[in-house]
Amino acid sequence: MTQAILQRIAEGDRSAVQDCLKKYGGLVWSIARKMLRNPDDAEDAVQEIFVDIWKNAERFDETKSSETTFIAMIARRRLIDKIRFSSRRISADSLDDVLLEPFTRADKDMQVSLEAQQAAEAMRTLRPEQQQVLRLSIVQGMSHQEISDATGMPLGTVKTHARRGILQVREYLGLGGSSVSQEVRA
Amino acid sequence: MSEEKNEILFDLLTKKAIYGLDEAEEMQLGQIDPGMADAEFRSLEMTAAAISMIDFGEVVPMPDHLFAKISANAEKLVGQESPWPPVYKTDENERPASGWFGWLGWTAALAACIALAVNIYITNSKPQQLAVNPVTVETPKVKTPGELREELLKSTAGLIKANWAAGNVKELKDLSGDVVWSDEKQQGYMRFKGLPANDKAKETYQLWIFDKTQDKATPIDGGTFDVAENGEVIIPIDAKLKAVEPGMFAITVEKPGGVVVSKREKIAALATVETKTS
Repeated sequence: MTQAILQRIAEGDRSAVQDCLKKYGGLVWSIARKMLRNPDDAEDAVQEIFVDIWKNAERFDETKSSETTFIAMIARRRLIDKIRFSSRRISADSLDDVLLEPFTRADKDMQVSLEAQQAAEAMRTLRPEQQQVLRLSIVQGMSHQEISDATGMPLGTVKTHARRGILQVREYLGLGGSSVSQEVRA
Repeated sequence: MSEEKNEILFDLLTKKAIYGLDEAEEMQLGQIDPGMADAEFRSLEMTAAAISMIDFGEVVPMPDHLFAKISANAEKLVGQESPWPPVYKTDENERPASGWFGWLGWTAALAACIALAVNIYITNSKPQQLAVNPVTVETPKVKTPGELREELLKSTAGLIKANWAAGNVKELKDLSGDVVWSDEKQQGYMRFKGLPANDKAKETYQLWIFDKTQDKATPIDGGTFDVAENGEVIIPIDAKLKAVEPGMFAITVEKPGGVVVSKREKIAALATVETKTS
């Protein structure tokens, strides 16, 4: 079985650093571009993210997640920090503005990792309102208040959909969780 | 812990995994943290990361100059911060096969060749089957899209209707027509006047359905279609996913076979839903 790139980095294999950049450069860049609309901000963030990835390589545990999801998590963590620091958020486009963005077929399973594919499957099991809230918050980066304003759902309902939806997806992915979390999901 | 407190805890953890928390929220989380919050947070953070990669479509390559910059910095960073010991790798692919395993491989290959030759001989020796008299089956009359559209209009309440308007293609200013869709039947038809015949070898029309179950960046593919001759045409909608309360329909011009990601360079027509029959 091929050794994970992050494990090789943690063990001191210098060639793995370049392999990591080649394999995950596009993924990290895509996440950064999606969360930060400004390309210059995204470039700065990607450089910082790769430093974070190399520093955190030894924390990767392949029994808990795929390497791709671990790297996406590190990337998101850094990007959330940057967004919070600059008080900028991605805002959803109006329906008319949709035409300014490329369309991607919703049915096309071109997921970048097995967990992303399973997450897509898990999302399909959620109620439409839960799917909508999770997509708008996690994929589009809208705040709960923005989602409430855009959809007309009360803020408390948005929070409930987000909480129950993410716990259900986590359970589907087998990413852990306690009995307490099962109580609040119900 | 009370149910209410649990809900507050998981609301905070969910928010932290999705957006991060401000100082006041972090403080609140610290006060109600029952000790297991950190592990819960890590798994929620991982879940959010998996969800964030949904519908990425094709991953966009990193710009070359950025790749070069990070690559150069990596060399510096690694050189300064990490006096890593050399790694001695053993590549199993480079290992020569031992004598016995080598012979086993050649023997298996020889056996496979003999089996293939025997199979070809037996197959070619079989007598040709005689043609059987074909059974004539009366085929039912196939309804035209126009007839099916009329049936849908008569039979279903709660139909969504929208009129086509021109998109961003200057030559299609005179385009008109409508689209009807039934959520209940998951069936619909587009009617166009003024949508020109396309050269199938070069391009096709593709429908996109924007509905409330999907993010606006990932509309449902409504299928591709060609127009053979100018005049009125009625096209059935071939939605690839269940569409619920579509708000808008868009027709783009794409390469033959359609696309996964549309650059929306040529939007032939748009229809925004304004009415729903009761």
